[in-house]
Amino acid sequence: MNLRAEYPERPSRDIVKYVGACGRGTMPEPIIRVENLSKTFMSKVRKKGKRERKQVHALADVSLDILDGEIFGLLGPNGAGKTTLIKCLTTLLLPTSGKMWVNGFDVHKEEDKVRASIGCMLMGDRGLYWKLTGRENLDFFGALYHVPKAPRRKRMDDLVSLLKLDEFVDRTVETYSSGQRMILAFAKSLINDAPILILDEPTVTMDVPTARELRHIVKELNRQGKTIVYTTHLMHEAEELCDRVAIIDHGQIIALGTTAELKASIRTEDVVEMEGIFPEEAVERMRAVPGILDVGAVAMDSGLTKLDVRCRDSRAMLSKIIETASGNGASIQFIKPKEVTLEDVFITKTGRTLSVDTRVLGEKEAPRGR
Amino acid sequence: MAGETVARGLGLARPGPRTSLGIIWTVFLARLRIILRYKGAILGESLLPVVFAGLPILLGIAVAGDEQTAAENFFRTTAGAGQGASDFRLYMLLGSNTFMVVSLMLWLIGYWVRREQETGTLEALYLAPAKRLHVLAGVTSYTLVRALIAFVSAMVIGSIVFQVNPLAGNFPAALGYLILGIPALWGISFIFGALILRIKEANSVIQLLQWVLAFAMGVYFPVTVFPALVRYAAMAFPPTLMNDAMRSTLLGLTSIYGPWYIVLGLMLMAAWTVPLLGYEFFLAVERRIKKDQGVGQF
Repeated sequence: MNLRAEYPERPSRDIVKYVGACGRGTMPEPIIRVENLSKTFMSKVRKKGKRERKQVHALADVSLDILDGEIFGLLGPNGAGKTTLIKCLTTLLLPTSGKMWVNGFDVHKEEDKVRASIGCMLMGDRGLYWKLTGRENLDFFGALYHVPKAPRRKRMDDLVSLLKLDEFVDRTVETYSSGQRMILAFAKSLINDAPILILDEPTVTMDVPTARELRHIVKELNRQGKTIVYTTHLMHEAEELCDRVAIIDHGQIIALGTTAELKASIRTEDVVEMEGIFPEEAVERMRAVPGILDVGAVAMDSGLTKLDVRCRDSRAMLSKIIETASGNGASIQFIKPKEVTLEDVFITKTGRTLSVDTRVLGEKEAPRGR
Repeated sequence: MAGETVARGLGLARPGPRTSLGIIWTVFLARLRIILRYKGAILGESLLPVVFAGLPILLGIAVAGDEQTAAENFFRTTAGAGQGASDFRLYMLLGSNTFMVVSLMLWLIGYWVRREQETGTLEALYLAPAKRLHVLAGVTSYTLVRALIAFVSAMVIGSIVFQVNPLAGNFPAALGYLILGIPALWGISFIFGALILRIKEANSVIQLLQWVLAFAMGVYFPVTVFPALVRYAAMAFPPTLMNDAMRSTLLGLTSIYGPWYIVLGLMLMAAWTVPLLGYEFFLAVERRIKKDQGVGQF
């Protein structure tokens, strides 16, 4: 479907009016649309001194709508395809196939207008000039986003005040702490006051209070009307912030919906979480216990195994679960009934945790089905 | 109302010529600010061509036995090749100084692309709606100003050290040729920047091309001393044309390209075509990179 057909006819010389007119009705409309997006590139692999070229499918037939005014989370492990998707949306990469529209503009044909519609924080604290002050950086990027001088100055003052930059904004960036650089990079993404804000793991090097403050500001910006695309691998961030979440793995969207919908999709039963040493036989015996629906096992860095035991009624089953495990050589070190999280959704859909880096897997394995 | 501000977006209005000039100025100013925060960088660039000119002058004296004999030998050799240069010290100084302007403009673009790749600012530039041409114009304006500052300082220092008078010839015409040669240098710098963007390595490319450039430009000798094929290849290189035009004007020599109107015509043609070719090449490489893994890869 052509998204532009849904938008009002655009006056050729007045983009401002056009952008003001699209969206903002009672029914949220997609402000970003992605149709059948695929991205394949060649990667060089060095093995035993030999160089090979391998085809990597970074995105495979991805389609999604991001609604005007929502906070949309993109969730997935490293190498899943989140950043590739965002780079395609922000015109940094050309897709192999598929179509995209951002703010009503065709990403392929109207690159400049797409870029003007987006505020981006993609590379953490990279993308700043370290020999310039924070204020000079904001001014520089404001000019590159065509923000006129007077509104630019006002916008900079507003951002300095909003993000409490006044203590360091007039020092060169090279003197900043990593947290201060991240905040400045966040400020940079807001300099053009764009209707869409794309944040790629923005809290990754921030201390806890600063990250909390940033999330608060993100919510406030969303309340004011900005559409926010937020990538993270931190479950609590996604759950706290996002209206809807897409879980992406091996270049495919494997789950999409509100956090409640995603949790409900696997919550037909209770989950008991266990950690310890579990011989294979113990796991198999537990799976065979009537009332236990499934047992998911994931190896932990500590050498222990984490089990998610799914059953109809955890209270009734708890003693039977412990008895079966202990009776078959298991050593239980931790046990608790568990709230379903987005990570459980991911584990259920993929059989892996989000901490697994899938970049290498992505080259070897065929993409999983949805 | 906040909602209206958000919906509009501050940078969504169609940019006019003033905004475009503003981008060029902003990029220029940022580069200038950055270099001024590295103490002594420009002073070093001013001394370099004096050293470069000093080497062949001292070598000439050492080989010939004394300076008079060196000058006579140089005059005889260059006259045989079509240009009889009586003031070999000024010949060397002008050659090395023009070489420095050319190499600074090319290398600064190369290092700029590489540095922006490594620091992540290149990707940040690509995220902004500013036209690439305006960003490049800002950077090349900066490289030009930096090269010209170094050129003037080096001419002043070199004139004192080697006791030559560069103002004795047709100085305004030589300056005109320098200015006319700059658009072609921009074009070559776009090509060079695109190569660095693709190859992702500046040092080895620069070190290799530095000597090819010095050789082709005829920094210390007229390119007419080359065998025919190499001579025509060198003469087709726009910096060689600029170097020869300036030097022949200032030293009162006959240009290897012919009378002044031929030189002027060739320079106008280079000033018009090379930047267009260079920019097209840059865009083609950029498209290729975006089809692959993107400009952020380094």
